[in-house]
Amino acid sequence: MNDRISALMDGELDEKSAARLIEALTRDAEAVRTWRRYHLIGDAMRGGLPLSDGFTERLAQRLAAEPTVLAPRRIRTESPRLFTVSAAAASVAAVAFVGWMAFAPQTGVAPAPVAQVQTPVEAKPVLVPLPNAANDYLLAHQGFSPRVSLQGMAPYVLTVAEHPAEARK
Amino acid sequence: MSLRAFAFACVLVSGAVQAQAPETLGWLRKINDATQKLSYSGTFVYQNGSRSETSRITRYADAGGDIEKLEVMDGVPREIVREKDTVRCYLPGARLVKVDRRTERGFPALLPERITALAKNYDITLGESRRIAGYDCRAVVLTPKDNLRYGYRLYADTASGMLLRAVTVDANGEQVEQFMFTQLTIGGVTRDMVRTRHASRSWRVEDAEASPARLPGWGLSSELPGFHKVIELKRRLSDSRPASQMVYSDGLAAVSVFIESLEGRPEPVRTGLASMGAIHIYTREVANHVVTVVGEAPAASVQRIANAVEYRKPQ
Repeated sequence: MNDRISALMDGELDEKSAARLIEALTRDAEAVRTWRRYHLIGDAMRGGLPLSDGFTERLAQRLAAEPTVLAPRRIRTESPRLFTVSAAAASVAAVAFVGWMAFAPQTGVAPAPVAQVQTPVEAKPVLVPLPNAANDYLLAHQGFSPRVSLQGMAPYVLTVAEHPAEARK
Repeated sequence: MSLRAFAFACVLVSGAVQAQAPETLGWLRKINDATQKLSYSGTFVYQNGSRSETSRITRYADAGGDIEKLEVMDGVPREIVREKDTVRCYLPGARLVKVDRRTERGFPALLPERITALAKNYDITLGESRRIAGYDCRAVVLTPKDNLRYGYRLYADTASGMLLRAVTVDANGEQVEQFMFTQLTIGGVTRDMVRTRHASRSWRVEDAEASPARLPGWGLSSELPGFHKVIELKRRLSDSRPASQMVYSDGLAAVSVFIESLEGRPEPVRTGLASMGAIHIYTREVANHVVTVVGEAPAASVQRIANAVEYRKPQ
């Protein structure tokens, strides 16, 4: 169970398994505690400040006490403002996707969502998946990086990032 | 910018006002010496974004030199062993050993004069004290003087100078990636502990065969401020593809420019930017060649170097 929670946090589960696990989380209090604990570990590693004890419960109580606002829904318009927001959201999604690609299996197939992103700022580069030979470039590059003399071999972990393209050869 | 990032930026700015104390540069020297001289074994976590990966690192040092081994613990087992100037990557899935050999010189040590030169591009200050994996550490903070490079927070053991945690931050003070030891033992390493655990005798070997060379005609139309050319090489990449490489560095970060002929290339060139933690890779075509720029620098810097690559027919 803990392995699968960790995999879910890392976005490694497929849609079905993720949905099943999230469903399980709604019933299993111990699993929810594990989920929170893992996030707390992640936050602490990223240097974030943990929230105080019982924060979730207090927030839930205050939310429940909030009055419900009943108002008509806004009609969707194609105003330029809305476009900017969605374009910005799309480029954020694209960045997240590229970050994920760094570790994800490389299929060599063009990821359609990235190719179609309209970036709001002209200078923004087109985001592409890592080149097939990324590991070769990294291995050839790292040896000349002065940070190796401060960090030792540690930055080399990137050089051997899992790369199914290699395994297929 | 979030309030926290803003507060952090303020801290960085206030730190930048202080002059580089000799004591601070001494700390960098101490980290550098520890990295070169100590024997140690430990487990560290590499993290970027929500993704993290655990690895084991073992370093054996004696009068005859040093050997370092890195094993990735998550996913498919992978291993890298460095002995003197040779790095071997063992990829058991592909039954493949990739070899990168330096012929002309050792790994770039941060010599004292280079540490002083770092102060041209970074403000170097002492930061907080913090306990990491059982060691009392002090942070050395390198704040870039412009947005062309990343900043670093290096946490080193006060007693030995051993680096326990290294955080790379962007211009907003947001973390880009980090390496952190979760367990570390200094000393007690034997020669056996740094040998590869793979029986790789029958595996395929890809030797990168790099040697310094002049690359007539190739260069940058304008250099990135603070970055200077360190070396030019001719080398081979996987499948024996010949490539040229030019390396630019500001004393801490480095950016490599790889140049390969388009002839016989099986796949089309995909112009654009890819990233992996603090590393950015920008690919484009120049004069019937594919240019791939790789470096631990912000995307805009890598892109600027890539866009400055030019070929002028030698007279």
